[in-house]
Amino acid sequence: MSALLEIADLRVEFSTRYGPVTALDGVSLHVNPGETLGVVGESGCGKSITALSAMGLVPSPPGRVAGGSIKLAGEELIGARDARMRELRGGEIAMIFQEPMTSLNPVFTAGDQIAEAIMLHQDVDRGTAFDQAVALLDRVGIPEARRRASDYPHQLSGGMRQRVMIAMAVSCQPKVLIADEPTTALDVTVQAQIFDLLNDIQRDLGTAIVLITHDMGAIAEMADRVAVMYAGRVIEQGAADDILDNPKHPYTRGLIECIPNLGKGANEDGGAVPPPLAEIPGVVPPLHLLGDGCAFADRCGHRFDRCDTARPALMGDAHPAACHAVEEGRL
Amino acid sequence: MSILSARDLTVRFPMPKTSFFAERQYLEAVRGVDFDLAEGRTLGIVGESGSGKTTTAMAAIRLTGPATGEVRFEGEDLFTLDDEAMRQRRKDMQVIFQDPYSSLNPRDRVNHIVREPLDLLNVGDDASRDARVEELFGLVGLRRDQLNLFPHQFSGGQRQRISIARALATNPKLIVCDEPVSALDVAIQAQILNLLVKLQEELGLSYLFISHDLGVVRQICHDVAVMYLGRIVEQAPRAELFAKPRHPYTQALLSAAPSLARRKSAGYVRPAKLKGDPPSPINPPPGCAFAERCPKAQAICKQDRPELKAEGDALVACHFPD
Repeated sequence: MSALLEIADLRVEFSTRYGPVTALDGVSLHVNPGETLGVVGESGCGKSITALSAMGLVPSPPGRVAGGSIKLAGEELIGARDARMRELRGGEIAMIFQEPMTSLNPVFTAGDQIAEAIMLHQDVDRGTAFDQAVALLDRVGIPEARRRASDYPHQLSGGMRQRVMIAMAVSCQPKVLIADEPTTALDVTVQAQIFDLLNDIQRDLGTAIVLITHDMGAIAEMADRVAVMYAGRVIEQGAADDILDNPKHPYTRGLIECIPNLGKGANEDGGAVPPPLAEIPGVVPPLHLLGDGCAFADRCGHRFDRCDTARPALMGDAHPAACHAVEEGRL
Repeated sequence: MSILSARDLTVRFPMPKTSFFAERQYLEAVRGVDFDLAEGRTLGIVGESGSGKTTTAMAAIRLTGPATGEVRFEGEDLFTLDDEAMRQRRKDMQVIFQDPYSSLNPRDRVNHIVREPLDLLNVGDDASRDARVEELFGLVGLRRDQLNLFPHQFSGGQRQRISIARALATNPKLIVCDEPVSALDVAIQAQILNLLVKLQEELGLSYLFISHDLGVVRQICHDVAVMYLGRIVEQAPRAELFAKPRHPYTQALLSAAPSLARRKSAGYVRPAKLKGDPPSPINPPPGCAFAERCPKAQAICKQDRPELKAEGDALVACHFPD
């Protein structure tokens, strides 16, 4: 099966007051039809820039795609004409943003905003588009969809706003749906509803989903394959089960171990104080301070001399990781 | 012994009148809440946004508007204290807020931010206050050479450490933690949770810990109260609550929380799905507030409100508890 969205060796640079910094450094990802790829990492690891690149939405200036390729169903997106990108965006590839409050226009009704997206891509009149919008709102589980279609964003709850965003994103049945932290602003119960909805849509339409998150729990529940990002690079990639059960890179291990646990049999500890959580010390380094070595070395418990001098490459076939210690069998 | 106990705590906010002759409506954010926080322990309050968890905690330390009922701090009724006595009492109760970006003054150096409670409450003299600030910096894992920086020079996790240092400045007995880790990345969240546990052990602190994340609550809280639309619907020791959730709402919350054990590859399907949103706290429905969304609701649930009753080690407000 050929990949629907294929990103190869993508390099994105930003000019900053510290000079040019490399926000994405040789990122390669792909997602197949009907599959969910989870992209995981802390804030500042380049997850959202990867998503924006695929949408052709990297703010420029200061950003610049400096190399690599992004292919959507075989068509190269880097260097595509603006008019072509506008056709694809919303039509073939759509995105759900993190903050439903700020990504909806406050002065138009929910129904009008969805209808606008439909009219941009299909040759229909306003009335038909609005009817389609109502049907979509109903599809994403908004009760009394016809009445709600006339509501403004401020009249909707956070969960409903995110549903409106999803309705808008799937309005033209895109092949690829990029969800950038779609539930971080929402309660867990609403998050569960949104995840279930995304899974339903995928099942019905065969949509490929790229789910960007910092939560390994969300990855377990949603993803078929996972790419772990750190400081602008993919540092580990593989099937979700392999990554979760058998993480190689120390950063991936840290991300999994630092989650307070619910699932491993709730009454195991008999009410005793749980052991302290594993920590990843420190923070993601600022991109302009990255040296020649491994970007994670400062926070890593397995650091040795090679980590400071050479940046590890992504090594391995089915489940590659970018770590000198893994490569040398020290881990 | 309990350090903080609330009885029939209620907070009602008057709503603006819609017309001159209209009857004034009230938003009941907290409705008849009882709880006891034992000394040196952590009581978690969980619930969705709008469930009244923050209002409950803030009302309990007299930081929010028209509260009725009774709150005792070390046996002393807080609602009857005069302003000056309450101000003196504030030394013993401090708050850590959710957002470390908006809760620190961006124009103030961090050593002054941490020192300010000591200045305001007249604790010690000048030299001892400075020494205390340095000591606090060490305690929360910040370096001495960072004392003169401004908040924007710190990362989110470090800012939360500054908030914690500020809360600890007056040597409080109780700290209200209002979602202290929900604005942080998971890796940083673990650092802050471990710090809070360490400080509790070293200083004998009691925490009233507000969170919407059950994983976090399980990590840090000894007892847990689950709130829904202004009321506690289930309250139990940690092990009991997570091993045997009795209220359908608690069960739904637990099944909604993502977990590494719930795999897509293993065909995981969520058992109890929660539909819709909580009802409005203005004119709430007469029966059980959860009845509209509850899979087990019967006719009685919409008419009679279930009282909080003992079930094993837990207190549950449900007509049909498990």
